[in-house]
Amino acid sequence: MPKVKINDKEVEVKDGTLILDAAKEAGYIVPTFCYQADLSSLGSCRMCLVEIKGQRKLQPACITPVLDDMSVETNNETVSSARSAMLEFLLSNHAFDCPVCDKAGECELQDMVHKHGPHKGRHAEPKHSFHNKDYALNAVIVKNSNRCVQCQRCVRVCEEVVGRGVLGSIGRGHIQEETSFLRTYLDCDHDGMCIEVCPVGCFMRRPYRFKARPWDLKSTKTVCPYCATGCRMTIQERDGEVVRSIAMPEDGFNGKMMCARGRFGYDFLNSKGRLTTPLIKNKDGVHEPISWDKAIDIIKTRFARTAPEKIGAVASARLTNEALYLMQKLMRDVVGSGNIDSSSRWNHSVVEGFVQATEIPKGGTSIYDAMDSDAIFVLGTHVSDENPVTDYVIRNLAAANRKSVFVATPRAMKLDSSAQMVFRYKPGRLAAMLGAIVGKFQETRGDKLSSVKGLSPTLSKDLEELSKASGISLDDIATLVTRLNISEKITLMAGTELLRGGDGIKGLGLLRDTLRALGKEVLVMPILDRSNQRGAWDMGINPVFGPGYAPVEGKWKGTEEMLEAALDGDFDVLYVLGEDIQSMFPDRSFATMALSKLDFLVVQAAYMNETAKMADLILPGGSFAEKHGNYTNQEGRVQAITKLMEPPGDGKTDLDIIWLIGSALDSSFGPNLPREVFKEIQSKVDMYSEVEPTGFISADTGEEPVYKFDFKEALVGSGSVELLDVEAKDAEIKIGTDGDHPFMLLTGNHLFHSGVMSMQSELLKGLLGKPIIEMSALDAKELDMNIGDLVTVRGNGFEADFVLRIKEGTPRGVIFMPENYQEIAVNKFYERKTGIPGVNVTAQRG
Amino acid sequence: MEKMLLNNVDKPNSEKISTYISGGGYKSLEAALKKEPEKLIETVKASGLRGRGGAGFPTGLKWSFIPKDPTLAKYLVCNADEGEPGTFKDRVIIEKDPHLLIEGMIISSYAIGGATSYIYIRGEFVQGTKILEEAIKEAYEKGYLGKNILGSKFSHDMHVHRGFGAYICGEETALLESLEGLRGQPRKKPPFPALAGLYAKPTVINNVETLSCIPAIVSKGADWFKGIGPEKSPGTKLFCVSGHVEKPGTVELPMGTPLREIIYDHCGGIKGGKKIKAIVPGGVSAPILMPSYLDIAMDFDTLAAKKTMLGSGAIVVMDETTCMVKVAYIVNRFFSHESCGKCTPCREGTAWLTQVLKRIEYGKGKKSDIKLLDEVCDNIFGNTFCPLGDGAVMALRGFLHNFRDEFEYHIERKECMV
Repeated sequence: MPKVKINDKEVEVKDGTLILDAAKEAGYIVPTFCYQADLSSLGSCRMCLVEIKGQRKLQPACITPVLDDMSVETNNETVSSARSAMLEFLLSNHAFDCPVCDKAGECELQDMVHKHGPHKGRHAEPKHSFHNKDYALNAVIVKNSNRCVQCQRCVRVCEEVVGRGVLGSIGRGHIQEETSFLRTYLDCDHDGMCIEVCPVGCFMRRPYRFKARPWDLKSTKTVCPYCATGCRMTIQERDGEVVRSIAMPEDGFNGKMMCARGRFGYDFLNSKGRLTTPLIKNKDGVHEPISWDKAIDIIKTRFARTAPEKIGAVASARLTNEALYLMQKLMRDVVGSGNIDSSSRWNHSVVEGFVQATEIPKGGTSIYDAMDSDAIFVLGTHVSDENPVTDYVIRNLAAANRKSVFVATPRAMKLDSSAQMVFRYKPGRLAAMLGAIVGKFQETRGDKLSSVKGLSPTLSKDLEELSKASGISLDDIATLVTRLNISEKITLMAGTELLRGGDGIKGLGLLRDTLRALGKEVLVMPILDRSNQRGAWDMGINPVFGPGYAPVEGKWKGTEEMLEAALDGDFDVLYVLGEDIQSMFPDRSFATMALSKLDFLVVQAAYMNETAKMADLILPGGSFAEKHGNYTNQEGRVQAITKLMEPPGDGKTDLDIIWLIGSALDSSFGPNLPREVFKEIQSKVDMYSEVEPTGFISADTGEEPVYKFDFKEALVGSGSVELLDVEAKDAEIKIGTDGDHPFMLLTGNHLFHSGVMSMQSELLKGLLGKPIIEMSALDAKELDMNIGDLVTVRGNGFEADFVLRIKEGTPRGVIFMPENYQEIAVNKFYERKTGIPGVNVTAQRG
Repeated sequence: MEKMLLNNVDKPNSEKISTYISGGGYKSLEAALKKEPEKLIETVKASGLRGRGGAGFPTGLKWSFIPKDPTLAKYLVCNADEGEPGTFKDRVIIEKDPHLLIEGMIISSYAIGGATSYIYIRGEFVQGTKILEEAIKEAYEKGYLGKNILGSKFSHDMHVHRGFGAYICGEETALLESLEGLRGQPRKKPPFPALAGLYAKPTVINNVETLSCIPAIVSKGADWFKGIGPEKSPGTKLFCVSGHVEKPGTVELPMGTPLREIIYDHCGGIKGGKKIKAIVPGGVSAPILMPSYLDIAMDFDTLAAKKTMLGSGAIVVMDETTCMVKVAYIVNRFFSHESCGKCTPCREGTAWLTQVLKRIEYGKGKKSDIKLLDEVCDNIFGNTFCPLGDGAVMALRGFLHNFRDEFEYHIERKECMV
């Protein structure tokens, strides 16, 4: 380990440490513009020039590694004067329009000049001006190149992190401009990463334009509520209106990374459609306001007079751990019913299989540990659309550390371009593909696999059949097997394609065990699309397992079974928290009929939704910005969300409402403050007993723990693993295509939307407002259709109109439809228990 | 003196392979292929050949840095991006004797174990590109390129790649970026190209003239080469002389030939018998020399000792009618225009210098401007990413140092001194 002297301090650092980092360790901050740890190094801004004793020229600290016995000066006169000279150069063509610049007050150039001078410039020549007016790069990004310092962070982040590469440097010398070709609109991910990394006011947010100065804003640290990547972020409001969300580089495992939903989807908080008071349906079927007292009283009466087995609750996977824990406590301990489920989209038996295959009960895995594998196999998750920041982490780290990435998904996605191999298996046939992989391992190294439980012999005839069924050639399978064979540590990332129908959950477990039997270290990481899906499972929001995955006694119902019972007139009371069953259950007409047969339906929601419209009683719940609590992301990382503002009107937080119901039924129901509920969780749920949530203010000390990057103490521990011993079943996915309905209909999250929440965001709707379908270019050509055509999709006795988009890499015979539209219920195309539906697509000729 | 570079250029159809072969061409390649590659590197090392692109780095030493691992792909890249103002020596070889370069490149590739080589040629050399492509085709037809050259185990492919008009791409790492299809901007070093160059593989980058010396060194031996010119920089050198001389052009002379001899004996002296005022000795980034230095020996070390440089051997002669402010402005404008934009001091600094020089030239100079120029130069020098910015400053400092009075005159009287 080299020892270096930085100014007067000696430090010992790891081999290859940059002078910049060694200086930081010694307590000296060397200023930089172009340096960003997760991007390729450039060494171009020359702000970090330092003096190395014995060297003639100053050297850039951000690209120069230390050597043993090196003596570095970071603050002497030569260095300071060079630093000030660089700033004078940067200012020579700078616009100096701080009074009208959105960045003023949080501008790195401003701060740097203030600190390092010069406070008087000598450049008195005409400035080069790229343009007279700011120009829009797309619906959310606006550009002013006259302020640019040419650090190229925007170009690099777009290429290396986002994987889009739509920005470039155009021109040369001092007229070089970082922009899109011809300065036209970007067809990009709209994630605003270029804005986030820009040190000056060159890239700006259109929605935030001229709205506030940083010092006008009230901020709170929280977690993005969209997907389970769980990006830490800061949301900021001015006069009761949330005006932006920004990344929290110093306090989040996601660094500066955020996606379009996280960065621009905050404005659902300002949506006008918020519910503000409890509503009861009168005898004419119209909802009218009532007081909280009366509402709670009605629930109390209903719960008390109904048999527990006929009462159930379905909760959203976006509620906090505290609310979810309290909800199951209310149901199980007070009402006496275990009819609990956390999603209306997937069946609880599939959830159990998925939880087994991904070994969630064994505790959390940091994504950085997961990426420290030789091979990363991403299967059954369209991570680029569903978990964009997970996609960024995979791309960035795989390229930086030369890791192999393999992708297996039924549809194309952006991560394909970062993968060594892409397996586009036929929809619903992941099980066959995994079967073929495991079979190939058996063929080549079968002698080592006797310990793998549930592995039946695979004949070469079977292999051929599996290969044919999955649409993946045996050669490709063999290559993958060879590549996995030479890897010592392997990470499997699996997601919602497995959860949607149960396709491949058994195969995933077998692949995992096969690799382990071959002596490999295997990590399995679930990739989930709702912010607190893992937390909901950890809290036991499931009919089969309780908090910490402990098996529960008795036979209880999940969402689908509750609805089935309701349809038979055998279920009376359903309490729905933050979930829209009508819109999301994968069979609309079944859901509608079942819900209408309920005796009493209570819906607790922030917005009016399709299910709430049917409710007998509506309770106005709070959004994530109005409460304290914790989310557990897909890694098993527990992170705090904190309150920015009060719920509108008479609204209450979900936790408060559950507590009100609970204590109305049982006066010893327990605590209602989030911190105290969390303490109870820690004492009752083993997995959480040692957890220190990131950003969480402790109930005991009132202090937030000091944050460290990739804070492992925030990962949950191991819970009950009994569940892991149950043998998983692979579901057979039926394909409903026929001559009249030639297209397989796939659904899922779109890059700009996840579920119905994003439809409350005007900004995200601005990026994608109209319902679309995606199709392959060849299919479109055959049907004589073009991008932007209005088309009609028919199937399951339902039809609706969509705008056609052609997506490169979409397989033939497949269309994709985002699942979030409220005006067009995608789930009307689905009929439960029939697998992937077949539909037809016809053009509307005008 | 025996020539090794310009032997063929005056022959009719000199660019044809038949002309080259009839003059004894490709004999060196035959001889080289019978030797161990290691021996060839030793020979080049022993010859004392130094890079003719400007830096004067020992060629044999550069080759010896290439890892010997036979499983690693290695590349030879010929830097034919001749763009330094005043330089037109490589062009003569490319257009008049392309096979000399090609033979040199095949031998060099054999020495370092490279299966592929590239000639990165300046975009403006349209004619040169055509000639080289034709010559490479001829070499393939005759079996000097392709599989198992002359029955040996050595196979080699050669490609010509045109640049797109950027001076910076003559800087070797920017050249590699450009060759890979990226934006032509210099890379950080280390890693040096010898370890991670083109496509991150070990790469030797040599100038056209350097590579063209190789056949003669192979056929006539290291000692013969070392016997020409001064001990520390042996061999002959192409000097391209332009400006106010009677007979501008490219001449091949031993290293260390006095400047006076080059200008007066070989280029016919100053045009119209006027007085000489200043000489650029090695391309415009080399600080200017005053007539008092006319007897200086033109080699790497002697010029370096006088705080200027041999550079590419481009000599620009200026007579007494030349306004040095205007020259300084034009030279600086060139550097500013060619600054790639990567690092702050070069990008912003050279542009700023140009603005000030332009003002002075057009009669809008201020008294404080000379001091400002000095200070901006100080802020650029040594702080840039690559030598381009330093070159701009070195040139301007030469003008400011030697002709300060002319700048002052220009500022005060708002007109040229001459």
